[in-house]
Amino acid sequence: MKSKAWALLAVTVVLASAGAALDRMVQPVWSAARARQPTLRLESATAGLGQGVTLALLGGFRALVADLAWLRMYVLWERRDLPACDSLIRLVGTLDPRPLDFWLNGARIIAFDFPVWRIEAEGGYERVPGSVQERINREQALAALRHLDDAMRFHPRTPDLWVERAGIELNRLQDLSAAAESYRRAWAEPGAPYFAARLHAELLRRVGRRAEALAFLIQLHPALPPDDEGAAAPRVLERIQELERELGVTAERAYRPALAAPGRP
Amino acid sequence: MPDFNASCLRIFFIAQNTAREAARQKLFSFVLILAFALVLGARWFRDFNFGAPELKFLADCGFGAMAFFGSALTIVATAQLFFSEIESRTALTLLAKPVYRGEFILGKFLGVLAVIGVFCGVLTLLLVAVLWRREGELMAEFPEAFRSGRSVDLGTVVIAGGLQWLKLAVLAAFTLLVASFAQTQLFAIITGFLVLVICHLQYLAQDAYARSGTWLGRMGGAALAAVFPNFQLFALADSLAPADGPAWGDVMRVVLYAGGYVVVGCALAVFSFRQREI
Amino acid sequence: MSRITEAAPAGSAPAVEIRGLVKEFAVGLRGLKLRAVDQLSLTIAPGQIYGLLGPNGSGKSTTIKLLLGLLPPTAGECRIFGVPSQQVTARRHVGYLPESPDFYRHLSGRELVRYYARLCGLRAPALEARIETVIASVGLSAAADRRVGTYSKGMLQRIGLAQALVHDPRLLILDEPTAGVDPVGTAAITELLLGLKAQGKTVLITSHLLAQIEDICDRVAILDRGRLLLEGSVAELVGQRERQSLLVDALLPAELAELRAWLAAKGRSLHAVETPRERLDRIFLDRLGEQKSPRV
Repeated sequence: MKSKAWALLAVTVVLASAGAALDRMVQPVWSAARARQPTLRLESATAGLGQGVTLALLGGFRALVADLAWLRMYVLWERRDLPACDSLIRLVGTLDPRPLDFWLNGARIIAFDFPVWRIEAEGGYERVPGSVQERINREQALAALRHLDDAMRFHPRTPDLWVERAGIELNRLQDLSAAAESYRRAWAEPGAPYFAARLHAELLRRVGRRAEALAFLIQLHPALPPDDEGAAAPRVLERIQELERELGVTAERAYRPALAAPGRP
Repeated sequence: MPDFNASCLRIFFIAQNTAREAARQKLFSFVLILAFALVLGARWFRDFNFGAPELKFLADCGFGAMAFFGSALTIVATAQLFFSEIESRTALTLLAKPVYRGEFILGKFLGVLAVIGVFCGVLTLLLVAVLWRREGELMAEFPEAFRSGRSVDLGTVVIAGGLQWLKLAVLAAFTLLVASFAQTQLFAIITGFLVLVICHLQYLAQDAYARSGTWLGRMGGAALAAVFPNFQLFALADSLAPADGPAWGDVMRVVLYAGGYVVVGCALAVFSFRQREI
Repeated sequence: MSRITEAAPAGSAPAVEIRGLVKEFAVGLRGLKLRAVDQLSLTIAPGQIYGLLGPNGSGKSTTIKLLLGLLPPTAGECRIFGVPSQQVTARRHVGYLPESPDFYRHLSGRELVRYYARLCGLRAPALEARIETVIASVGLSAAADRRVGTYSKGMLQRIGLAQALVHDPRLLILDEPTAGVDPVGTAAITELLLGLKAQGKTVLITSHLLAQIEDICDRVAILDRGRLLLEGSVAELVGQRERQSLLVDALLPAELAELRAWLAAKGRSLHAVETPRERLDRIFLDRLGEQKSPRV
């Protein structure tokens, strides 16, 4: 027995020594990976998904559990179970924050679907007063924006989140200035859609900041690829000319499109 | 000291026999069943009409199956392929030949490694094929969602499969170490599953002990972190997007990390088995 | 206790040399020890068939394992052709058939023999020819492609012999080779062993079936509870030198009385008058008419 105890101790010491050396080598990799992982709150996971999932989480199947949680949320979405959907949307973000689609679709459901469910639960659009409807819409829109703020902690340079944010500010909060700023932030990130730039300028125009809109479009147009339908360079040129007419820009000072190379500024 | 070439050949023959034994225990039909389940699972996700996110579900299902079934296969196969030799006394006949005990252990390990390598390789290739095909269908159906091109980096999928294999190799080395001194196969299997859970959770224990105010707590956390490898590291390549692919430097560090634990685990198993009375 | 040992011919190492061998096993948690082999010393010269006999639990298999380096001795040493047993190289010239052998069920007979042959260092082009030769010598050519898991006990014994012989060892160690084997199989094994002796091989057999081994062993050692009880050549041990057996035609009672009187006059006694007995296994084999037919 004594010799077995010594042998076990020797094995443990050797493993610990080797492990300590190996851990030092791999520490930078782990630090980066750890920073991308939100703290695992088992209680909320267990409450939302049941006891069995705890073992799965502990077994290292976070991504798969997040997928299953999302599927479950879809099923509950069909039943219009707002509290369950809400908690699952947030749980999925905690379990696996990497997929952007979870954040985007979650924000859309919070901003667009939840108000409808709440109003209908309180009696429907015919019976609920307009002020209450407005309050509900605003509450859910702000909740969706907070959800997108959480997403940006894990996806700081993603234009899609800013585009989503802009859509909610525009359509649910009717805050054109905020939406314009969000579209501008989206356009500033690599891989942004061309329509974000156009919408930024259009919203500036609608809030009366036409000179700003014109300056932006004049800076944008030369960089738009002429053969890309999505870039819509001719339409941008039309907007520039409309704004110049509205602002009374003379022909001499009007924008003349140069033969610039396509590409983003 | 043994002739190195002859020793390598003996290790190879023992590994070959071990892998052949596992293969003739219907391993391949087991893999086929999993592959079939994966294809069926892929069709089920179609019904949800997720669009581009469906690819993530497919990949997570594939890696989840690889991790879950692969871990079970690794632990059970390692213990069973080792203890079958002890209990049937074929180990007696084998070690009565001019075969070193270390060669026996290394041959067993490499045989198991080949088996789980086939398992991970088949699943990875199947996953690559399913993802590539499905992404093509989704690109035709939702072109706007794929305006930047394909969203799945198949090279990252292959790297993820390789990292899974390395994780299972470390698990096999630890299971073999336990088997080398365990008296029963059941003990080796149960301890193997315990090691699996500890290795997945050791980072949580580290955090808990680090937050502990006592030096004993901090020492305990450090010891736990040192003895057991961190299996969370092998999820480095689980995100499929090209932009999220792991850096080669990070991958090589993890490979060396796994290699280090495998070497130490196998060396300790050899040391332990040399003391064992058969 | 008789300890007649035969010294090895000058200039050649003994096939097996055991000196003061002791093996103890710990039993229980209180430090109790079981002494399975107790101060065993013996020498086996090359070219002999040597029997290690004794009842169940006498230490035969433990001695074999110590000799093969499968167990470390508590005290004493073993050597095979002069090489200490604990060294792996000592087993290069040893073929071993364990008691009640069990082999890899997933392999065919041919694959099994090939596996062990490769582990012993045999390589192409000699490998395949040697495999076929040993499989034929044990009468399993027809069943060589079947999985070992489908073999009968007798076939397992024979494939076990094949794997022990494939690398042409100088020393063959057989642990209870005839246990559970029918008379036909036993006769086949006997004939094989005598053939190996004729080739100059050394054979060490352990058995608790003393009568079966008596016919083929040159020398025997009898163990009991780990200790050497008796050791020497079979002829010396079993022969009663002070008496003789005569085989004569059947005598009438009067003739028998006359013989008795004649012996008495010479100062001798007639101790027993018996009808000679043929051995039952010999009658069985003769009736079968074929000692080498393989049974599947």
